[in-house]
Amino acid sequence: MKNRLKVLRAERDWSQADLADRLEVSRQTVNALETGKYDPSLPLAFKIARLFDQSIETIFQDEA
Amino acid sequence: MTVASKFPKFFATPKGRVVAGLSLAGGVVGFSAGMLIGKLEKGGALSLETLGWSDILSGLIALMLIATGLMVLLVSFSRKASGRLLDPLSQRDATRAQASYYRQQGVVALLAGLMLSAPVLLLAAQDPPPFELAAAVMTGIVALFLLQTLVNLTLWFRSDELVRRVISETGAVTFWILQGALFLWAAGEKLSLLPALSLWDAVSLMMAAYLLISALVSGRRGLG
Repeated sequence: MKNRLKVLRAERDWSQADLADRLEVSRQTVNALETGKYDPSLPLAFKIARLFDQSIETIFQDEA
Repeated sequence: MTVASKFPKFFATPKGRVVAGLSLAGGVVGFSAGMLIGKLEKGGALSLETLGWSDILSGLIALMLIATGLMVLLVSFSRKASGRLLDPLSQRDATRAQASYYRQQGVVALLAGLMLSAPVLLLAAQDPPPFELAAAVMTGIVALFLLQTLVNLTLWFRSDELVRRVISETGAVTFWILQGALFLWAAGEKLSLLPALSLWDAVSLMMAAYLLISALVSGRRGLG
């Protein structure tokens, strides 16, 4: 699954650690999400969407 | 670009420096442990000749767990070192909560190593061990097991969803591989085609498989 996390984070000038603090996950989790190695759970996806004030589908796109 | 030309560049990165440092530490620990075991064997305190392949395997795993656990435990007492060593790509010190989380991970690895090494060390020192000594060691192992289970459960609840996913996937993959392999071995053993495996053999194999699969799953999920 592709996502725009890195772009959204860069727009706000946040480091991976800053975003991790806001999402209450580890920096490694943010890195894994950005590099597509890990797809978030629904609760985490909703949390990300709320943080960036966007819908889940504008942040995460199915590659199929 | 060849692998050789990429090599120095890798060691110039924060992750590369940590890998180099850990490799050096691993070499020192392995060499020191080898020297110590050699001296103890020469002095008659240990006898490795009576140990089987699974004792050697679990002994090596235990040594690795103890060394890793001690290293993580020591590093976790400095928030600066924790930030640099345990998450090399992070550009800041570990928080108090992160350092305490790392400390717990170190304790879990250390306790696992102590539990795994205890029966092997006892057998290497005295085979067969006297009942009283064996019972005392077993009591210690049960106490460590209960403590480790508690710390492990606390770690699970403190972990975020990526770590929990890695633990779950490692458990699932290890189960599916081992249930197949052990079933096939058991069938061969039942038919008198293969030698018998002891429970200690199976546990040593399981620990080795779990650690290997854990490293692979962690790398695949970006935790490596």
